[in-house]
Amino acid sequence: MKKIFLACSLFLCTLAASNPVETGHARASLITNLQDSQQESFYVGVRLEMQEGWHTYWENPGDSGSPFEARWSVDQGVIVENVEWPTPVTIPYPPLMTFGYEGDVVFPFKVFRAIDSDLSSISLDFDFLICADICIPEKASLSLDLSSATPNSMVDAAIAKLPTNFLDTQSVVEGDNLKIRFNSPQSVTKAYFFPRQENLFAYTATQELVSLGDDAYELTVPMLNDEIAYFSGILRIDDSGFQIEEELGSAVGMSLWQAILFALIGGLILNLMPCVFPVISLKVLSFVSMGGDDNSKIRNHALSFVGGVMSTFLSIATALIIIRSTGSMIGWGYQLQSPVVVGILTLIMLGIGLVLLTNINFASGLTTIGSSVQSRNDYSGSFFTGVLAVVVASPCTAPFMGAAIGYALLQPSFATLPIFLALGLGFAGPYLLLALKPEWISALPKPGAWMETLKQFFAFPMIATALWLMWVFMVQTSGDALILLLILGLILGIAIWMIATFKGRWKWIGMLATLLAAVQIFNSLPENTNGLVADASAEQWSLTIESDLQAQNQAYLINFTAAWCITCQTNEKTAFARDKVKEYIKEQNITYIKADWTNRNEEIAIGLARYERTGIPLYIFWKPGMPRSRILPAVLTEDLLLNSIQ
Amino acid sequence: MKLYLTLITTCILATASYAANIKLQNPSVNAKAPNFTAVNSYGKTIKLSDLIGSPVILEWTNHECPYVFRHYNENNMQNVQKIARDAGVVWLSIISSTPGDQGHVSPDTANALTDSRGASPTHVLLDESGEVGMLYGAKTTPHMYMIDANGILRYKGAIDDIGRGMQFFDASFAEAKNYVSSQIDELLANQSLAINSTTAYGCSVKYKYD
Repeated sequence: MKKIFLACSLFLCTLAASNPVETGHARASLITNLQDSQQESFYVGVRLEMQEGWHTYWENPGDSGSPFEARWSVDQGVIVENVEWPTPVTIPYPPLMTFGYEGDVVFPFKVFRAIDSDLSSISLDFDFLICADICIPEKASLSLDLSSATPNSMVDAAIAKLPTNFLDTQSVVEGDNLKIRFNSPQSVTKAYFFPRQENLFAYTATQELVSLGDDAYELTVPMLNDEIAYFSGILRIDDSGFQIEEELGSAVGMSLWQAILFALIGGLILNLMPCVFPVISLKVLSFVSMGGDDNSKIRNHALSFVGGVMSTFLSIATALIIIRSTGSMIGWGYQLQSPVVVGILTLIMLGIGLVLLTNINFASGLTTIGSSVQSRNDYSGSFFTGVLAVVVASPCTAPFMGAAIGYALLQPSFATLPIFLALGLGFAGPYLLLALKPEWISALPKPGAWMETLKQFFAFPMIATALWLMWVFMVQTSGDALILLLILGLILGIAIWMIATFKGRWKWIGMLATLLAAVQIFNSLPENTNGLVADASAEQWSLTIESDLQAQNQAYLINFTAAWCITCQTNEKTAFARDKVKEYIKEQNITYIKADWTNRNEEIAIGLARYERTGIPLYIFWKPGMPRSRILPAVLTEDLLLNSIQ
Repeated sequence: MKLYLTLITTCILATASYAANIKLQNPSVNAKAPNFTAVNSYGKTIKLSDLIGSPVILEWTNHECPYVFRHYNENNMQNVQKIARDAGVVWLSIISSTPGDQGHVSPDTANALTDSRGASPTHVLLDESGEVGMLYGAKTTPHMYMIDANGILRYKGAIDDIGRGMQFFDASFAEAKNYVSSQIDELLANQSLAINSTTAYGCSVKYKYD
């Protein structure tokens, strides 16, 4: 009974303003870091020295308790902001759990004042609940004369320890647990999540921390139920606190259906990407030449093409699943990280270019692209054009595709296949439509001599693609290796000429000689290096660069790119290389970082996986004040880029 | 022999981990209220299932807690009890404080407190072990639960909307929305309540825990 009266008398009595004040179980005082009378902003701290075994509470006190209440009296022209809460500690009171502070704690309040205002007294009524086993509401009326106050270093020490930095997290809900994934360059032994919202989490339950390898960690936070769309709070990692905040169910929680829809749209748009366009145009041309033909023939050609596309996507998906099962980090376009593959693609492009230009007709295979009248019944030609279209499409990522493929590759295998099939369906969509409605072909222009001219013209986009691939090849290897590739190109040219010119035995001898020469040269090609490709104009990327820069409050823009990614290269020219963009980045002191994935690099693959991506381009932007970094659009223009980072 | 040893060890470990795992349950509203048995301040065993047929209100209390103190000192809790009892509701005041801790009382003190404060609970239950409290997930004093005549839990949470924070000690009970007294009519109609779950505020329940 005595305790009640003690609590009560303390609560009811109003103390005269002074500094410090003994409140019963604590001593409260006002301190400041104000250095000189000209400062427009500074901090005032409420220092609470609690007796041993007593504690007070954080903004979310946990299962019981109450945060303090501060009522300021200030002169006109002075504004005191809300408290900046220090990182709390857990104060277990089994089976309950509370969050708060023990011992000697400083609560910093930021103060702004008009520069012409007088520096005078600042007063505070501070009501707080202080608890040991039992709880007592106590209060202090404090006053500080700012004109004569001496700066107290404890204020700056408290500010330095505030959890002001945001830490990027990728969280998932599994059953009744929230799994918070985060990265930390230092090894973590203890972590605890203090949730800001009430009624979402089971405070008493243990939060388990596991290391996911490298610098990734996962903290399991038991929830009261599985309904959660958003959370925010402080993540204490060993002795430092970080703000975390995450919306669940956006990019992270993309559903399978959404991923399939994205794949369909992405596949459709892929037709227009620069690396595919020439091959697709040839196919369209071949359909034009069929105008007036038997509908079933058109249908069969269209279906063969669709078959080629679908079976190639299926093969790629299968290959990816198999490679993934070995534990490798892989991504869309990853095959172009191998100079051998780039070399072969170069020769294919070059070969197609030569065939188109010289009007040579082959009996079957790849060369029936833009097929003439004779080979019209050869459906394998249409099939292989489908295959070829997908093969040349591999360096390209269309909008929507990145997110869908990222999802496909990070999900269990059963989700991978449908997404790749959807991608194929989207890609082959227009031809599938043609197969269903062959009569629509009459909407296309009438065939004629113009087709031969156009076909020859399409040799140039093919050769241009070959040139681009040669540059990729050179970046990956060396100038010497490029010369070898060019020699292979020459041999290919001779081979095509021989096949077209000679008949019978000579033709086969020519092909064999070419093949032997090719194998010989390919064997002498160097292995690709594993390093990062440096760029003088940009900062080097590293796995920890984001957390480092966020810790320094430094804005940054990351460009995940590769020489073989034509979308990336286009964006470089149309956005990043523009003077306006360069100037803005310099003006705003944004750190520009390039992660060049031209060569195989496991770290970059992990970096992409953090954003649930497996392919590029990927552009990341962050500036102080943003709770988390933002993913910019995959296809950029100068204006689009500037708008998204302003 | 080895098998027996293993079995015994397993049993001991299982018991140990069970003891360490005692935790608050979190009963769902609009579902059956968990049944319990407890002894009242007159030594009589009270069983929730025997009371069903009338609505039942559970009030977790601790007379030394400053929050509870203010609710009783200003007759706020007594008024709510009266409204509920007049409407035919069974009111159970439950003390889950463990012996030696704040709020734990002997049966006689419990009855003396009821008299001196002019309170009107149907029963004061002494839950020294904390079993009932943990079964309901009672965290604070006060912490309120409303169960309808069919035994369905209709409300869990705070007594009113004053909420956590030091403003409690200055706030007016008259101006606050009392979640219990304002929803008694709906409780009597065995309906789902407009507000059925809130965050309770107050002192921690002083559970036995070792």
